Amino acid sequence: MDFEVAYSPEQEQFRAEVRAWLAEHVPQVEGDRDSDENYEKYRQLGRELGAKGWLRPAAPVEYGGGGLPVDHAIVIAEEVDRYDLRLPPYYDSGGTLGGASILVWGTEEQKRRMLPPIFRGEVVTWQLLTGPEAGSDLAGTTTDARRDGDEYVLNGEKVFVGGSHGADFLWTIARTDATGERHRNLSWFLIPADLPGIQYRRMELLGDGNEGIGSGYKNTIYFDNVRVPAAQLVGGENNGWQVASTHLELEHGAGGRIGSNRLFRMTREWARQLKREGRPLIEHPDVQERLVDVFVQTEVTRLLNLRNYWMNQSHQRMSYEGPQASYYGKMAGLEVSQAMMDIIGPYALTTDEEWDVSRGLVEPYLKSAIVALHPGGTADIQKVIIARRIGVGRDIAERAGDTGGQAAF
Amino acid sequence: MDLSLTETQELLKRGVEEFIERETPLSSVVSLQQSERGYSDAIWRTAAEVGWLGMLTPEAYGGSGSSFMDAAVVFQALGAGAIPGPLLSSGVIAPLVIEALGTEAQREQYLPALARGELVATFALTEPEWGWGVDRVQLRAEASGDGYRLNGTKLFVYDAHAADVLLVAARTSEGVRVFVVPATAAGVEVRRLEGLFSAECQVRLTGVQVPASAMLGRTDGGGTAAALEAALLRATPILCAYQVGGAQTAFELSVDYSRRRRQFGQPIGRFQHVQNHIVQLVNHLDGARWTTYEALWKLDAGKPGVEVSAHLAKVCASEGFVHAVNYAHEVHAGVGVMHEYGLTLFTRLSRSLYFALGDPKWHRQRLAALLPDHELSEVA
Repeated sequence: MDFEVAYSPEQEQFRAEVRAWLAEHVPQVEGDRDSDENYEKYRQLGRELGAKGWLRPAAPVEYGGGGLPVDHAIVIAEEVDRYDLRLPPYYDSGGTLGGASILVWGTEEQKRRMLPPIFRGEVVTWQLLTGPEAGSDLAGTTTDARRDGDEYVLNGEKVFVGGSHGADFLWTIARTDATGERHRNLSWFLIPADLPGIQYRRMELLGDGNEGIGSGYKNTIYFDNVRVPAAQLVGGENNGWQVASTHLELEHGAGGRIGSNRLFRMTREWARQLKREGRPLIEHPDVQERLVDVFVQTEVTRLLNLRNYWMNQSHQRMSYEGPQASYYGKMAGLEVSQAMMDIIGPYALTTDEEWDVSRGLVEPYLKSAIVALHPGGTADIQKVIIARRIGVGRDIAERAGDTGGQAAF
Repeated sequence: MDLSLTETQELLKRGVEEFIERETPLSSVVSLQQSERGYSDAIWRTAAEVGWLGMLTPEAYGGSGSSFMDAAVVFQALGAGAIPGPLLSSGVIAPLVIEALGTEAQREQYLPALARGELVATFALTEPEWGWGVDRVQLRAEASGDGYRLNGTKLFVYDAHAADVLLVAARTSEGVRVFVVPATAAGVEVRRLEGLFSAECQVRLTGVQVPASAMLGRTDGGGTAAALEAALLRATPILCAYQVGGAQTAFELSVDYSRRRRQFGQPIGRFQHVQNHIVQLVNHLDGARWTTYEALWKLDAGKPGVEVSAHLAKVCASEGFVHAVNYAHEVHAGVGVMHEYGLTLFTRLSRSLYFALGDPKWHRQRLAALLPDHELSEVA
């Protein structure tokens, strides 16, 4: 076994190129990273990365991706990670997961038309799955898409979706056969967000104030007789559950992740800075014990994600590993939150400029760890999927969704 | 990056699995457990012939000089079968201690015989005021004549009842050193302990006289306490692999039972509480598995931070094995506690090995001391 990515001289040369380019192009931001002004800076970075093929480095070049080997994609991801950024450097859930799904399920014409703007960072796409009636029971959605000539007419409501800066496209699942058999009555659409009849209402949530999984801002989106061109239906009419299996598999963590254990590193740093009884916290035995708890939890999380990354990239047949990493990460978030409260005490709860040693990191983390319990399937749903994949109580284990070996691009 | 087993490792694994299927299924291990010694000659002969006892020993001393990962693959498979006998004691811990501490002559004297299974050795560290730190050793070795005289009690010594020689850690005027003591020496009394143990023993040494040559590394100064701690840490991930194997079988038995056992008209695995037990079980299993594999990889590749990884692995493997077995018992209910079913073999092992080479509390204390200055790798 080898737990390290082996870097060839060619990769190291590429790394130098990427590092130099990023040093020149990653914007300087001050204050709230998610302010309108800063968001536009990150979008601009995305467009510049996209033009170089570095925004979605491993995505096929004929569809606007970088067409780079995985080895190079890893280097870019690592270098971007040094700025505490991901690819893309802003919230683009529909582009990431929808893009991978379209690549697996779209027609050639759709791939050539839909994917380049996504992979080049020209557009932002939100994924719209959850409805008021369809949370864990995604297949129970009552958002309807009725065929009418060359169009589908959408009516319904999606909740807990998107972010605070708007989107160009909405990647949505809807019912195309209201009376049809469950799981055989759904379809996916890539909907232009500016079509008449689409309305947004902002939802204020507990969260970390940034767009993304731990976001404090989500939306309710209403579809009122929205006419969507039929060419925007991806993966075949009433085949939406199949497409969903790809989308959900990636969302459930099958893509994996490699990266350093930043959470532990940060927690340890705060424990070095703060004092109790005249001594740095890190010198207190009780703090050291809790740091070990943080270490154990975050290291296991890191290793499960690393395993998934390797399995996905090397096209291993996956089973329960995606939802396992998802579930473990959700639970570890809560455990680590409590350890942080034990380690730095009530300082963990403040965002006060004078007293927040973490400069806006811990309090948002505590909130986002709670928010993160539900997106991409609740912790309970992850457990149900793990059990099915293992085949608990079943003679035949459920198969994992086909990701086509695609990680999130 | 490659997290798969090599072809050789797949073969090693299948070799053990086939042996277990053919010769030592769980039912036979259950009956062996009731025997006085706890294991059979057949197991020991095979282990010696196939080379399981000399994997970590260099070829120059009659071993195969395999990687730690290779050895772990074998010991994980042995753990999955709950295979008893002084395999870890005499095939892993003793050779690593002798190789690290011993002089050239001592290595030549003991390592080939251990690899061939002709000599059985075990390492004795813990005492009535027990603890897995080498600094806890109180048993005295005092200079006497041309050698040393040993007095004191070792407790919870694994496999001493089967050992020909005991590697006894003792406190000398120069610090803690390890002595090779024949089990038959005058003043040595070994008694296997009753309880929820695998093969823990009491070893009482009363005025045991050994020659100076019995001290490991005496003539070349290699037998220090630091060298001993390092050797034990290298043995730890192999023990963890054995625990991972045990947890794996607890998992497989549970999944299988969730399909076969029907209540209220359906397989019990259809009930979400039962599913939850197995989900928690597999999370403990995989946490133990991947922390163990990473520690092994660091050992083989000579990566920094191997100490931290070994401690982390033992925390996850010891805690994980106990939790895994507990969840398996929740799934199995009454059937799980019938000895003839086999799960209780793992129950016993999970408790016994919880403490071997240090319990999680001790390893957590070591982590607490190391982590403030631990260098985290930039990526992965």
